[in-house]
Amino acid sequence: MEPQRLELTRLYARFAFGPRPGEFSQSLKDGFTPSAKKILSQPQGVALDSLATPNFPDLGARPSQANAAASKAFTAALKAQSDELTLWWLDCMALTENPLLERMTWFWHGHWATSIDKVNFALPMFNQNQTLRANALGNFRTMAHAMFNDGALQIWLDGNDNVKGAPNENLSREFMELFTLGVNNYSEEDVKALARAFTGYQVVRSTGVVTFNSKRHDLDPIRLFGSSVPLNGDTATDLVVSRPENVTFISQRLWYRFISSSSQLDTKFGIEAAFANRDIASAVNALVFNGALSVPQHTVVRQPVEWFIAVCRAFSLQPSKLTPKTMVMNYLQKMAQVPFLPPNVGGWPTDEAWLSSASAQFRIAFAAALAKQIDFNPLASVPSEKRIVYIRDLLGVYEFSTRTFTALTNAKDDLQQFFVLAVCSPEFVVSA
Amino acid sequence: MDTISRRKFLQLTGAATVGAGAAMLSISEIAEAAITRPLPSGTPIVVVVTLYGGNDGLNTVVPYTDSLYYSMRPDISYKPETVLPLSDGLGLNPAMREMKSLWDQKKLAVIRGVGYPYPDHSHFSSMAIWQTGSPISHISSGWLGRWLDTQSADPMLAISLGSVPPPLFAGVKRSGSALPLGGLVVPSGKLGMRCQTLGKSSINDSPLMAAAATSMGNLFGLSDNVTGALKGPAPAAPDLPVINGGNAGGDSSLQQQLDLVAKLIVAGAPTKAWSVSLGGFDTHANEANAQSVLLGNVSYSVARFLNQLKGSGRASDVTVLIYSEFGRRVKANASQGTDHGTSGPVFVIGDRINGGMYGDQPSLSRLIDGDLAVTTDFRDIYSSILERDLKADPAQILNGWKGRVNSLYK
Repeated sequence: MEPQRLELTRLYARFAFGPRPGEFSQSLKDGFTPSAKKILSQPQGVALDSLATPNFPDLGARPSQANAAASKAFTAALKAQSDELTLWWLDCMALTENPLLERMTWFWHGHWATSIDKVNFALPMFNQNQTLRANALGNFRTMAHAMFNDGALQIWLDGNDNVKGAPNENLSREFMELFTLGVNNYSEEDVKALARAFTGYQVVRSTGVVTFNSKRHDLDPIRLFGSSVPLNGDTATDLVVSRPENVTFISQRLWYRFISSSSQLDTKFGIEAAFANRDIASAVNALVFNGALSVPQHTVVRQPVEWFIAVCRAFSLQPSKLTPKTMVMNYLQKMAQVPFLPPNVGGWPTDEAWLSSASAQFRIAFAAALAKQIDFNPLASVPSEKRIVYIRDLLGVYEFSTRTFTALTNAKDDLQQFFVLAVCSPEFVVSA
Repeated sequence: MDTISRRKFLQLTGAATVGAGAAMLSISEIAEAAITRPLPSGTPIVVVVTLYGGNDGLNTVVPYTDSLYYSMRPDISYKPETVLPLSDGLGLNPAMREMKSLWDQKKLAVIRGVGYPYPDHSHFSSMAIWQTGSPISHISSGWLGRWLDTQSADPMLAISLGSVPPPLFAGVKRSGSALPLGGLVVPSGKLGMRCQTLGKSSINDSPLMAAAATSMGNLFGLSDNVTGALKGPAPAAPDLPVINGGNAGGDSSLQQQLDLVAKLIVAGAPTKAWSVSLGGFDTHANEANAQSVLLGNVSYSVARFLNQLKGSGRASDVTVLIYSEFGRRVKANASQGTDHGTSGPVFVIGDRINGGMYGDQPSLSRLIDGDLAVTTDFRDIYSSILERDLKADPAQILNGWKGRVNSLYK
């Protein structure tokens, strides 16, 4: 076994959506630190140059139900935009030269989990996605401000309906519980106070444009975390993010997704210290360089989207080019993970949740469908006795067990099956 | 809830019983068990219906004679003439006609003011408490999972509908099984054989890799022996009340889940506990319409389910429990919705249930920080069900809990 193979396999699986052809073998030669530096030093927050940025025209308000034809066309337009948005993002993940940025955007989407199921319009969801990308490796305080002012999040958590006199607490509670501080790190009084501070913001549903209406805002002093002064969304966000619990909470959330959901965040890895100034890139650096990736117990299950994208990157597939057009969405839906459609505001589950027999069945069926659209010429040109090692390094797998080796050996002349077995093997489904 | 147990719960909400040791069942497998070893007739069966999101109890069981109800909720209250009157000045939401009919037949128990000590307004913490049955100390096993721990191992004993099993069925030693609604399609031929090889365990497997292998292997542990027991349509329900609009446009998944449960119970599945669920109750805005569609769905689906059992000889064996993680704030917000609250009513339904009102109605004039008081501890209900239906010792499963809902069962 090459030294640092474990760290490298984890680096690619967890921080880069999986290697592209040749990358993992090259990294084995270069070593862990130079490879990790390369992945981590990509420019931050830049748009993707290889893909056209989609343009979502404002669809305006929903036409009256009395007008059946217009109503039907409107619903079809919503659906078309929503599908285009999802496939565009999957394309970004599969094709990007800067996989860490997309991976972090994906992490933050699960963190500030907002669903198009309620938002309906693609445009505000796209704008939120751009906000997450722009801040994905930036400063969490800046991100929290941008997200408070995000139209999709405001619609999702009823911020639009939060007015002086009878505040709506949906956004204020989840803002502290799930986005910034963690449960029990605030009081019920704080939830009510924050809801008052968040009053007066209004959203145009079809565009996500947020405006502040001072007539609907509570101008009185608000007692939040002990101080009592007039507050608005921005000043209150500052108070919340300044709480020391924010450092621990965000560090824990990063740890939970990138390192382990079963072992606890350990201060010896210095994640909290790196995040003290709310600098996300520093925290990610600590996750990668401070030894957490070397602990054998720190295994993680690839979520369905991560599994699919890793397959795309290894076999040069572009999600939106797969046929039929509905295939990708259908299989992701069966595997219970579609971007922009988290199950609830708490985001997607981890690890064992993705290991049911139902998931296994759909993973096999999805892989078999993908196999029909993959160019296997590169694999075919590898001598059959070397194919197992080839696909192992192509996928960035740590090592195949005896059982998988046996299954692959039996299939090494049936390239489609060989592929299905490799990407459905426990060693690929789980990041070692 | 502290961070660790919360994290554990977040895992559970997704994972619960899947992974090593938990089974994913197919309909044919349950059908085969129903024929080869049917549940002895007369064995009680518990069906747990979880309403996710926090159902607004005050607009479910409406205190329509209390003027405070109208003054505190001017925009989202139900007028006295629209509610379906029960007793004690309370009436059901207008969408719950079938439940009213069950009340009239004295099969519906309404347990009022149910909650747990020190209410937590978080969906996640609150649902964790309800499903673990442990409000004080944080544990990761579910209350019915701990009952499973006391039984001999049988994957058919407790089954949840859907591919993601709920935490309430996760025990320490064993767990309930899951029945995906879409069913399983197992690869066959050479690919099937090779996939089966991938399902074998390996000495180098980490726990997660072992779970991944098991999930693959379980696919092939299922029987091919499809019986005819379940091929027919659901039993006819000629006496099903007809309603307009109550179920229109709503999520029909609860009905699908309960239809399948009814078929499997009628077939004789050796299953003593079932879990189904419906989401969408988190009505922070524009509550009235959304909630009544959902409640109409619950009412219709449950009545349809009970009707499907008629004539099977099992109708009087079944107890249905319907609960949500919390009720909602008494005062409406300005968006015609309500925020997270505390206690709410719980429904228990069955032929062996003494229909009627239980527990005290929380007073609207004595709110605690704007929330309803808790007048009945949820563990009283669990204890009664564990004792009367599952013949278990509630104290053993609920950490010594002694309370009961008195005279709930006949």
